[in-house]
Amino acid sequence: MPNQVTRRIYDFLKEVPPFTYVDDKEALMRVAGKAEVVYLPIGTVVFSPDERPPERFYVVKEGAIELLNVVGEAEQLVERCGEGDVFGIRPLLAEDNYRLLARAAEESLLYAINTKGFRELLGDYPGLTQYLATSMASANRSAATPPKVPVVTAPLVLGMSELQAVHRNREPVICPGTFRIVAAAKLMTEHNVGSIVVTDRSQHPVGIITDRDLRQKIATGIKSNQELVGAIMGKPVVCIGENVTAADAQIEMMKRGINHLVQTEDGTDQSPVTGVISKHDLLVLQGNNPAVLIREIGRAKSALYLRDLRGRGEQLLASYLEKEVSIAFITSVMKELNDEVIRKCIKLGLARMQADGRGNPPALFDWLALGSQGRGEQLLRTDQDNALIFEDVPEARYNTVKDYFLQLANYVTEYLQVVGFDYCPADMMASNPKWCLPVSKWKEQFSHWMAETTAENVLNTSIFFDFRGVWGDGSLPDKLTAHIFSELTGPSRRFLGSLAQAAIDNPSPLTFFRNFMVERSGEHKDQFDLKSRAMRPLTDAARVLMLEARQGGVNNTFRRFEALAKLEPQNASLYQDAAEAYEVLIRLRATIGLRRNDSGRFLKPEELGKIQRLLLRNSFTPVKDIQTLLGMRFQLNFLR
Amino acid sequence: MEGREWLEELKKMLSGRKKDFIDPQWPDWYRDYATKCMSNRRDDDLPIQQATIVVIDAETTGLDLKNDTLISLGGLKILGTTIFVNGHFEGYLPTPEKQEDKGAVAIHGILPHSSRYTYELEEELLVRLLAFLGTDAIIVGHHIGFDVEMINQALARQGGGPLKNRVIDTGKIAERLQPAGYWTPKDKFTLDSLASRYRIPLSDRHTALGDAYITAVLWLKLTARLREKMSRPLVLGDFV
Repeated sequence: MPNQVTRRIYDFLKEVPPFTYVDDKEALMRVAGKAEVVYLPIGTVVFSPDERPPERFYVVKEGAIELLNVVGEAEQLVERCGEGDVFGIRPLLAEDNYRLLARAAEESLLYAINTKGFRELLGDYPGLTQYLATSMASANRSAATPPKVPVVTAPLVLGMSELQAVHRNREPVICPGTFRIVAAAKLMTEHNVGSIVVTDRSQHPVGIITDRDLRQKIATGIKSNQELVGAIMGKPVVCIGENVTAADAQIEMMKRGINHLVQTEDGTDQSPVTGVISKHDLLVLQGNNPAVLIREIGRAKSALYLRDLRGRGEQLLASYLEKEVSIAFITSVMKELNDEVIRKCIKLGLARMQADGRGNPPALFDWLALGSQGRGEQLLRTDQDNALIFEDVPEARYNTVKDYFLQLANYVTEYLQVVGFDYCPADMMASNPKWCLPVSKWKEQFSHWMAETTAENVLNTSIFFDFRGVWGDGSLPDKLTAHIFSELTGPSRRFLGSLAQAAIDNPSPLTFFRNFMVERSGEHKDQFDLKSRAMRPLTDAARVLMLEARQGGVNNTFRRFEALAKLEPQNASLYQDAAEAYEVLIRLRATIGLRRNDSGRFLKPEELGKIQRLLLRNSFTPVKDIQTLLGMRFQLNFLR
Repeated sequence: MEGREWLEELKKMLSGRKKDFIDPQWPDWYRDYATKCMSNRRDDDLPIQQATIVVIDAETTGLDLKNDTLISLGGLKILGTTIFVNGHFEGYLPTPEKQEDKGAVAIHGILPHSSRYTYELEEELLVRLLAFLGTDAIIVGHHIGFDVEMINQALARQGGGPLKNRVIDTGKIAERLQPAGYWTPKDKFTLDSLASRYRIPLSDRHTALGDAYITAVLWLKLTARLREKMSRPLVLGDFV
């Protein structure tokens, strides 16, 4: 019987990351058995910068520890660790001295975990290493290369997803030729797989047994299950390399009339097995195929069916999020899906105008996506924000033309609403006469917004300045962009200053657990406003910095930061951090939104997992740094 | 025997018995312990941070010093502000037959002859205990007087003398921090109420090691407060 104290420590550890990744009770019990319990009265220093770390790292059992960056006399709070948080993991991963000061902000009890016993576990549990790397990145923001969470980067080949790489999604199940058939079948059952690869001593494949072999040769009594696997295995095995596309695999299967391909290191049967691709794997890949979905959207004949298809898009999104596919890839796919839906709705609208006897559009026009869809960052079906721009027409025709486009926009927004994009409560839609304008009126409108920096205008700016043409002639949005940049050559400092001001108006909370900046009242009381506290400051900052740099054509927030990093090498690392933080926030919002089936904007602190909290907290630092940069660059302290 | 000689002998017995007296009747293991303890000086100036603290707790068949016996002992070592779970002490004794039907089972939950525990002989347990304590460790416990007396009774049954380590009672420290008044209920200084006052979770209460752990955390929290109250590092002499 393990002693009660060790048992108690084990019970605590098994609930908190990174220990949650150790699912072997014995192993974790050994870790717990070596732990020490450290008591800290308030104000006690756990470690100081440049101190040599002992073979320990710490888990807060109760109380709170502050990690501080010490610059000369000044101390800067980096992180506040509450119950269940791990800190001081530097000795676990790196051979250098502590960088931060750790001090008890409250009377605290820590579990000190012996790194020696723990390090041995790292190899066995990849999730453990990943978590620790992520959590180290938070204390490491200023360091040159923060470790990144490894993500699967699916290659971006839109419309040609057959070229998507086939990921090896599980370890191949293998057995030696000395196995009896019954043992192999048990192994397959245990791993819940439909095939098993028979290998020689150096793990080169010599044969394969599939469910079909068992059905045809064993269940029918042709062979006994006591025979060796060689009696029924298929051979030689058809092998294929590791970096193959779905199309490669499909062609190979068709050519040979088989359902399983064995992946090996060099693609021949003279190297070790690395994976198995089944026809079923390919089917699943097809079902989760954005190109198929986009094609289907193009063929849809009703808004209701579009709604269905967009719902399937959401499943796709969920599977991407679950597989941790890179946000760059996810947003591109979802942007294409959304754009295709919008295009389809416009086409349906045009068809209806025809049916109404109103004929073809009387002038060139472009449909503009605004806000998050304009930036190409809309993952979930949130409110629609759109506008319509048409070419300048003679005064005499103006009313008829405008009337046509307003009616068209009415239909389109109605279809979009059916698909699941709710009407914009602030009526920022092309169906609003204010936002269905010819080029010259739009130019006037933008000039007005830039000249008069009222709060309302700044809000409009933040939505309208991210416009992007989705369907139409395609030339009109560029005219608007050119106009905006020509206006910026004038005395535009005040305009940019007010935009920058908006970006820093929502201070982001640095600490999270205890000083979580939640809404004080209203419907979302005690919830964290992810959009306005963390995402808005970043999108606003990216926009104003790009405007200042006279850069058009890049709408996506993290692409904007990447572009800025190239333009200002001296701030490159800050912009990179901001881009990464934004990706994290998008991912988090989409994950939460999908789970709750809403916009994911408001978070309850307690519904976040430990990793999510950690990632969210890490993203606050770049938010604050960007805000500081804006404050300095636009001298906002003087405006206040 | 002359009266004077008798008096000298008696004086020697009384003063010397504690430190210098070595009884040839003692078993080797106890004589060894007692001999080593003779070289211990009473070091009142030793900072508490440098002392080896051993927190112990005993579970017994009851509260009668004469008739009740030990059934389990738990101990944890503390150096400075760190509790070392790795080097813990834990031991179980079979319940004597005449004690089996007593109500204490309901408190500590140790069933007589349960196969969950590895039992040892009283003498073996005591030998291990003295080895764990060493000679210079400070014994800390809650209302530790009783536990020490129970151990001493056991030591006597095995032919040895009493424990010689210095003993500190966490109950006394708690009273010093918040002296009892006539309005103070007597149970204010029980382990349970102190644990709840100092926010120590009461898990594994009434197992020897579980109680030792609670007491160990209590010790750390109490000494931190006492140190603050006295505005200086604590030394052994503060706990007379």
